Amino acid sequence: MSGPRASARAFLAVLRRDLSVYLSYRFRLASQLLTAVFSLTLFYYVSRLVHVSGFPSPESYFAFVVVGIALVSVLYSCFSVAELVRQELVAGTFERLMLSPFGPVRSLVAMSLFPLLYSFVLAALTLGIGWALFGLQLHWSTVPLSVPAMGLALLAFIPFGLIFAALTISTKQGSVGTSWVIALISIVGGLYFPVSLLPGWAQTAAELQPFTPATEVLRHLLVNSPQETTIATALAKLTGFAAVLLPLSLFGLQRAIRFGQRRGTIIEY
Amino acid sequence: MSATATRTTVRPPLAAEHRRGDPARDFPLTLRGVSKRWSKKQAPVLDEVELTLDLGTSTWIGGRNGTGKTTLLRIAAGLIEPDRGRAAVWGYTPRENRGRYQRLVSFLPAGDRGLYARLTVRRQLGFWARIALIPGSEIDARVEAALDAFAMGELADRRVDRMSMGQRQRLRIAMTFMTEPEVVLLDEPLTSLDADGAEILDRAIDGLLARHGVLLWCSPSGEELAREFDARWLLERGRLVAP
Repeated sequence: MSGPRASARAFLAVLRRDLSVYLSYRFRLASQLLTAVFSLTLFYYVSRLVHVSGFPSPESYFAFVVVGIALVSVLYSCFSVAELVRQELVAGTFERLMLSPFGPVRSLVAMSLFPLLYSFVLAALTLGIGWALFGLQLHWSTVPLSVPAMGLALLAFIPFGLIFAALTISTKQGSVGTSWVIALISIVGGLYFPVSLLPGWAQTAAELQPFTPATEVLRHLLVNSPQETTIATALAKLTGFAAVLLPLSLFGLQRAIRFGQRRGTIIEY
Repeated sequence: MSATATRTTVRPPLAAEHRRGDPARDFPLTLRGVSKRWSKKQAPVLDEVELTLDLGTSTWIGGRNGTGKTTLLRIAAGLIEPDRGRAAVWGYTPRENRGRYQRLVSFLPAGDRGLYARLTVRRQLGFWARIALIPGSEIDARVEAALDAFAMGELADRRVDRMSMGQRQRLRIAMTFMTEPEVVLLDEPLTSLDADGAEILDRAIDGLLARHGVLLWCSPSGEELAREFDARWLLERGRLVAP
């Protein structure tokens, strides 16, 4: 009754639920695409106004930063599961997930998928806008390889959302810290400028999270940016982060749920 | 005080499978020495509560506001943990056998929460059926049966945020029964229900008891209940007492 197929159906049910809720807000995609257009416009002119050291031409910096802008939405979506948990707690629907045989841990992992998949679509559309409106040079021969690379990156990114979801469950304040963490990662992850421009301590911080290698790999595959490390090294780092952080985040989530059950506050917010 | 509700002598095949000749494991629902305290400075809200429910029985627990009825149900549902004691369904505990426990138990929380406002009734039921891990071949039939049994056919494609409170409560009750649980825990189920809704709930409970399921119903003392129960208890100062 509860074999892998039933669990897969439950996973897909969570995805479908999130898609249905998303589609019920008709103008959200249009609004987010407009934001992307304005961001690209801003950086298009910045790239022409300012000479950035290390980039031979305005086009090369624009290509560099477009990939960063596309990945910002992925970065935000990683942490959105904490906010989703808060909404479920407020609406009382988290209680349903707790009471289901599918269970809260698997439900939360499933809940983190739609925002990430959606952000990938948004990132692809952002790149498409950059290509269509601003003459972004995509490296078409390696663009398809970015899909499996994104899949690996997803496994390395999901733990961040789960850790903040665990914080939300245990402290009811988890989503509060997400904004500064996102800001910090967008700096040390090299989304807007090369990590090599940062001071030494910040470059060390860049090595301690998976967004830097993911950004490097995707930049190379999408716009053929020069690499600071080899692709193989970056992929190995992503694999390592996923292998270490996924079990840790799942363990933390389980502990947070147990803590809430013991205190009796698991469904309160 | 040990509270026991016993009525039936007929045991269906499913229930008979659970019976293992072990008194600690031979009842659909048992609460043993359940205690819960919200603060060390306060008296316990539940104090060594003992309760055993047998096949095909219905039990009502009343009490004033804040006496711990909801806490008791949440512990029985496996939602929160007691400080001491344990809840078990056929000997399975929510801590050690979470998945199995949740397949056997269904809980209707008090209030009007727990629904996705922007999903339709049909989507809501389908979603719940899937995370309840109901086999794929049965899901559509269960959803249709729930729509039919709880008179929601006309509401099937309506979003929850466009429904009345009574209609929402009917949907919440449908979700509680659609998994065909063996143990049903209801916390103030009559909230917002009209006479038709109450009658539908009654029929669902009759169906549960007819297949030898177990009902535990909690509501405040003083609420008029047309339904007959096999046992009635009051929760006072953390303990179950005869009314």
